[in-house]
Amino acid sequence: MSTSPHVMIPKPDELDLDLYQAIVKQGSLCMQRCSDCGTHTHPPRYYCPACSSGQFTFAPVSGRGTVYSYTVSHMSVEPAWQALVPFVTLVVELDEGPRIVATARGLAAPAVRLGMPVRVVTEAKSDDFAIFWAEPAGT
Amino acid sequence: MSAQAISGKAAIVGIGETDYLRGTDQSILQMILAASMAAIKDAGLKPSDVDGIIPPPGFVAWDEIAAHLGVPDVRYTACPQMGGASPTAALVNASMAVATGMASVVLLTIGWNGYSAIRPRPDARPNRRRFSAAFFDVVKNYYAPYGLRSAPWWYSLYLQRYVKQYDVPAQAPAAVALACRAHAQLNDKALMRGRPLTLDDYMASPYISEPLRKLDCCVETDCAAAVIVTTPERARDMPHTPVIVLGGAEGHPDRPDELINRKDVLDLGLDRAAPRAFAMAGVKPTDMDFLQIYDCFTHVVLLELEALGFAPRGGAADFVKDGNIQLGGRYPLNTHGGLMSQGHCWGMNHIVEATRQLRHEAGAAQVEGCELGLVTGYGDLGDASIAILARSTT
Repeated sequence: MSTSPHVMIPKPDELDLDLYQAIVKQGSLCMQRCSDCGTHTHPPRYYCPACSSGQFTFAPVSGRGTVYSYTVSHMSVEPAWQALVPFVTLVVELDEGPRIVATARGLAAPAVRLGMPVRVVTEAKSDDFAIFWAEPAGT
Repeated sequence: MSAQAISGKAAIVGIGETDYLRGTDQSILQMILAASMAAIKDAGLKPSDVDGIIPPPGFVAWDEIAAHLGVPDVRYTACPQMGGASPTAALVNASMAVATGMASVVLLTIGWNGYSAIRPRPDARPNRRRFSAAFFDVVKNYYAPYGLRSAPWWYSLYLQRYVKQYDVPAQAPAAVALACRAHAQLNDKALMRGRPLTLDDYMASPYISEPLRKLDCCVETDCAAAVIVTTPERARDMPHTPVIVLGGAEGHPDRPDELINRKDVLDLGLDRAAPRAFAMAGVKPTDMDFLQIYDCFTHVVLLELEALGFAPRGGAADFVKDGNIQLGGRYPLNTHGGLMSQGHCWGMNHIVEATRQLRHEAGAAQVEGCELGLVTGYGDLGDASIAILARSTT
């Protein structure tokens, strides 16, 4: 699990930092959750898009979701990724609502379908950042 | 006051552009000034006649432009920040300024070294010019770590859904690429002049990130362009047939700084802007004689054509086939070659070309007798702008 091509490690700030620190601490996926109406929002925002509340937490989510979109990359300017082409990147719609980008693992391009169930797991890259992997559900 | 009240109250009277190059010793500022000076002269004016400046959303600021050109009395500035939608939004903004009397002659300009910034010549002087946008933070924190480093990769995240959801055939984006390339063969200033393209070439083009092939992407370019806007009354005394701004609007997706968490990722800014612009202009899409559509990527053009009302969602493939968007067809598209094949000037070159067409000065690419046409802008992650333009009849 320790070797990944995710070499562009950002130094997030503000709400993005709060989100990633919650994920690293939890060791699994968290999302911003409105304390008033329960809506999950990503990327995190200072006011809830559903009810305009400014009260929120970063709460654990199931990691379950489906493939909303995806791309298959056939070239990259980064050697770490170029070594892996063609690689699959998914847009996962979480059961809680938000959509996130994740690298597919154990899922080759020809098998990807819109709507297929996947499970998102996290991998901490620093105290302030984690990447997301998406694996076929049930594995 | 409604938007209709300023329909027809502004005119394009000057256009200017540099050459479209891959490799230049000119700085961005030099190119922008050269294009601006050309546009001012084209209008038969002097820099001191300009009293409004709309600079690019980065690289160069209005006060530098004023200082270098010698504009002594600037009384109006604005700066739409929406990437490739900025120039057409700037045209609408300038039209409001002259229609309301806040300015009388507005210069809008943009330029960049889209090629040389990435591949500087070995002896190039350092260039401090930078461009930034709010969505860069989203990209940095949520897309770039996944190997998605620039626009083709980001855009693929939603364009692949478009292709899969509607079974968009490869012939559809190909038709856009082929039309732009065919039109570039008629344009002395087009980067891709002398390099015709066939459907076989397109199909053999390698994928960058599905669904985008290399030939679905526009070309990195060093260039600048500029436009002068004034009132129709003042335009009557100027050298060229005025091009009247009948309508215009901007529109933005809900979640403008991020791509994938929109309720419907295919509901773009133009879906909102287009109806407003047509209503303001009092014309219909089917009245258009040509379309200058912002073409960063071919699939984006398909989505824009749908947003404009030329096809139902997912149905642009039928609209672009059989030469419909080529010169000689019903709706010639990007008659200069577009960003795909003339060069990437952020769509200011689309406004320049629309103006040439409506002046009836488009040379071999002239749409015979054209009177009405439109220009779109598309930027950042789905921002849109549109202007509906008419040949002056007075």
